[in-house]
Amino acid sequence: MSLHEDLPLGGAFEEPEDGAGVKRLGPMQTVRLPRRRFRDSDVVDFVIVGVGSAGGVLLQRLARAGFSVVGFEAGPFWDTERDWVSDEAGSHKLYWNELRITGGEHPLALGANNSGRGVGGGSVHWAAFAPRFHPSDFEVYTRDGVGADWPIRYSDIEPYYELLEQEIPVAGPAWFPWGKPHGYPYGPHPMGGVGDTLIKGCTALGIPVAAGGPVAILSASHGDRPHCIYRGFCIQGCKVGAKASTLVTHVPDALANGAEIRDNSMVARISLRKDGLTDGVVYLDDQGGEHFQRARTVIVCGYAIETPRLLLNSACPGHENGLANSSGTLGRYLMAQAGNVILGRFDDLVRMYKAPPAHALSEHFYETDPKRDFARGFAVQTVGPLPIAFAKQMMAAKGVWGWGLRRVMMDYNHWSALGLLGEILPWEDNRVELADARDGRHDARDRFGLPVAQVTFNLHENDKKMIEFGKNTVMDIMRAAGAADVEQESRYAHLVGACRMSATPDGGVCDKFGRTWDVPNLFVMDGSVMPTQGSANPGLTIQALAARTADYISDQRYNFPFGLERDLAEPRCRKSLSPPGTFGKGVPHIR
Amino acid sequence: MNLLRKLTNRVTGSTSPDEEAASLSPLKDPATGANLPERRQPGYYPGFRTLAQQKYWDAATRMLIQLRVTRSIPIRFFTPGEEKTMRAVVDRVLPQEDREYAYRIDVLAGIDERLFENRLEGYRYADMLPDQDAYRLAARALEEMAHQQYGESFHALRTLEQETLLRSVHHADPLAAKELWSQMNIKRFWTMLVADCCSVYYAHPYAWDEIGFGGPAYPRGYMRLEEGEPEPWEVDEQRYEWAAPDNSLSDAEEAQGTDVGDRMHHGQAGAH
Repeated sequence: MSLHEDLPLGGAFEEPEDGAGVKRLGPMQTVRLPRRRFRDSDVVDFVIVGVGSAGGVLLQRLARAGFSVVGFEAGPFWDTERDWVSDEAGSHKLYWNELRITGGEHPLALGANNSGRGVGGGSVHWAAFAPRFHPSDFEVYTRDGVGADWPIRYSDIEPYYELLEQEIPVAGPAWFPWGKPHGYPYGPHPMGGVGDTLIKGCTALGIPVAAGGPVAILSASHGDRPHCIYRGFCIQGCKVGAKASTLVTHVPDALANGAEIRDNSMVARISLRKDGLTDGVVYLDDQGGEHFQRARTVIVCGYAIETPRLLLNSACPGHENGLANSSGTLGRYLMAQAGNVILGRFDDLVRMYKAPPAHALSEHFYETDPKRDFARGFAVQTVGPLPIAFAKQMMAAKGVWGWGLRRVMMDYNHWSALGLLGEILPWEDNRVELADARDGRHDARDRFGLPVAQVTFNLHENDKKMIEFGKNTVMDIMRAAGAADVEQESRYAHLVGACRMSATPDGGVCDKFGRTWDVPNLFVMDGSVMPTQGSANPGLTIQALAARTADYISDQRYNFPFGLERDLAEPRCRKSLSPPGTFGKGVPHIR
Repeated sequence: MNLLRKLTNRVTGSTSPDEEAASLSPLKDPATGANLPERRQPGYYPGFRTLAQQKYWDAATRMLIQLRVTRSIPIRFFTPGEEKTMRAVVDRVLPQEDREYAYRIDVLAGIDERLFENRLEGYRYADMLPDQDAYRLAARALEEMAHQQYGESFHALRTLEQETLLRSVHHADPLAAKELWSQMNIKRFWTMLVADCCSVYYAHPYAWDEIGFGGPAYPRGYMRLEEGEPEPWEVDEQRYEWAAPDNSLSDAEEAQGTDVGDRMHHGQAGAH
C-alpha cells in the first residue's frame, strides 16, 4: 500500500494489488478497488448506509461536491462479468435473502420480489420501468381526502426527473402523454411479443398505450455502456450494462471522485451522543467483527424495510421507541403496489422470454375517476416471466401440480403476461417492526444476532376495490388481444414508505429533504420517505429525490456539519454534479 | 445425474411399484391408448438443445450451467427415512416418468441443498415454521397419513394413493395427521413445496429444451422478438397429444377461485 502525498481530504488512496481490485461493470467498463480507504478513526463528512438506488446517487454527488464520504453496503461489490449470470436460478444472490417475518391479512412476499443486496441494491434487479410520478401524486389528500400530501410539489422534483432521465438515461417516446407530458432523451425500444399483446389489447379497447418505454435501458450505446441486446434477463442483473443500475451509472464516478464503498459491511446501529447528534455508525464486517466509523452526518438509504429496522435497532435513551421516532410514525405507512400478473394463453407462439420484461405500458387509468368507486388508480405494464417465475405463477393461478404442471409448462411459449401496477394507499397499520419486539421469538435474529424486521400488511377497502377493478381491466385487455385462456395471480410489487417525509415534525420521520426531525445530522433518503406512491414504479423518483437532497446539502454547506438550524429553502438544481457524459443528448420538448 | 443412486433407489423401492416399466412411459397416446415411449426430451421442440449453444454463452454462465448438469448433489438435510418419503412426494409433484432415466432431473437433491445451506427466499410467513422445520414436519405428517389411510409407508403406496393424499394436502384438507398439519399453515407448505420443485426443475437445461425456452443469451442476445418467431438456432413447435396415466389425479386443473387477495407464494419473483 502506498499513500498519496496530495490527499485532498482525510483518508488514504490505495493502489490495488495487481489485478486484485479490478471489477468489471459490464463488458466495457472497469473500476479498480479500493480507491480510497478511511480509517474508522477518521471523521468523515458523510456515512451513507446502503449503496442502492438512492445511496449510489448520493454517494456520487456528495463525493463530486468535495465531501469525504463512505458508503456502507451489506452485500458485495459485484464484478458483473464474473458474479452475474444469464440464468434465473443463479441470480438469487442479487436479492436480500436474509430472514424477515411477514404477516398481516395480506402478507407481502419479500426477497427477490422487491429487495436488493450488493452495490447497486434494488437497481441491479429492477425491471427498469422509469415513469415519473404525476403532479396529482403530491397532493392526494387535498384532491381525494385519502392518503397524504407530500411536503413538496411536482415542480420541486421536476428538474430532477429531467436530470436523472439524462444521467441514466431513460429510453421512451418523444411524447409521453400522461401526468405532465414530457419526452425522453433516448428513443423507444422495439416491441417484443408481450408489448404487442398490450398494444393489441389496448387498441381494441380504445386505451392509449406507450410503446418502448419509459425504461432505464439503453436503446443506443452510452459511453462505455452498450445498448440492449434483448435477451430478457433484466431482473437477473444486466450483464450487458444496458440497463441502468447505480452500480454502472453513478458508482464509477463516485469512486473517481474519492468516495469509498465499504462492501460486505452491515451497519448494526447508529450511534447517538448525549447532545442528541449522531457521531457515526457501528458496523459489522463479513466475519462479524464490530467496528465504529466516525462521521459528521449519517444518511440511511436502506429502503423501506432495512431503513426503519436500523432506526428501530438504534433505540437508545431519549429515543426508546427507535431513533427519530418522536412522531410515532417510524415503520408505519408502509406501502406496496398491487402487482397482479395477468396471464393469457394464445394459439400462436409468443416466446415472452425475449426483449426486456419492461417495454410498454399504459397510464390511462392512473388518476382518480369519479365514475369509479375508489380513489386513485393503476397502470398496466408488460411483464415477461422466465420459466421458474412462470411456473410459480401457474401454480398460484391455476392450482396446477404433477402432470398438470408439466402440461401447462410445455405451453410456456404460448403465454403472454401483463402486470397491474395499482396504487395502494398509505395506512398506519401497515408497518415494519422488530420481530422480537412483539413475540420474543428466539429465531427472529439474523446471523449477526440483530433482531430482524417483522412486516405487517393489510389491504383496506379502497385498495380492494382498486385491485378488483384493475385486475378485471387488465384481464379484458388480455382477452381483447386474443387470449383464449386468461388467468391471474395476486401479488404486490415495490416497497415504499415507513419513514415518511412530512411538513411538520408530528407528521413523519423526516423533512422534505430527508433530514430527520429529531436528529439534526441524521438523514433518511430512499423509497421509505414517500408519503404516497402513485401507480408509477418508484425507482426514478427515488433517484430524483436523492439528487435533490444532494443539492440541498451542497446549498447548506455553510450550515455544515448540520446543527439545530433547519433551512427548508428549495435547492438550486446543479448540473455540475452529474456524472460525465450526461449532457448533449438533447431532450425532446414537443408541445 | 447419479445413475447409481437412482438405480439403488429403484431396487429399494423408492419409485412406485406400478411404474417399473423400463422403456415405456406411463403417458398415453389419447388416440390409441398405447403407452408413449420414454423420451430423452419430452415437449414440443424436438432437437432443440440449449446446451448445444453454450459456446455462445459467457464463461460464468457456462460454468454454472455445466455444473448444474453434471454435479451430483448428496442428500445432507433429509434423514434417510425422510428422503424416501420426500423423494416419492417430489416424484408426484413433479413427475418425470416420461423421461429417459438418464435425463431425469434430481429435484429432491436441489431442495435438500437449499435446506441444508439455509438458502432462504428472504422471508418467512408469521404463521409458518422455519423452512427446514416445515419440511421435517410435512415428511412426518405424510408418513402418518400413509399409514393411517393405507397401512403402508408413503413411498410404497401406489401412484393413485400417493396422489390422493397429496391432493388433500393441496386442498388444505388433509385426510389424516390433522394434528401434525395444524402446527403450520398447510397452504403455505404446499405452495413452498411446489415452488421449490419448480425452482429446481425449470432451472435445468433439459427442462428448458422441453418447454422451448431459449436459455442463456449473453453476449449474443435475441433478434427475432415478435410473433413468437424462433431464432435461427431455435426450432419450431411440433405438438403431439399425450394423456396422463389412468391412475393419476394430477393432470386436472384445480383453480382455487381467483379472489384470494393474499395468495402470495414462496419465493415469488419480481416482475416489475
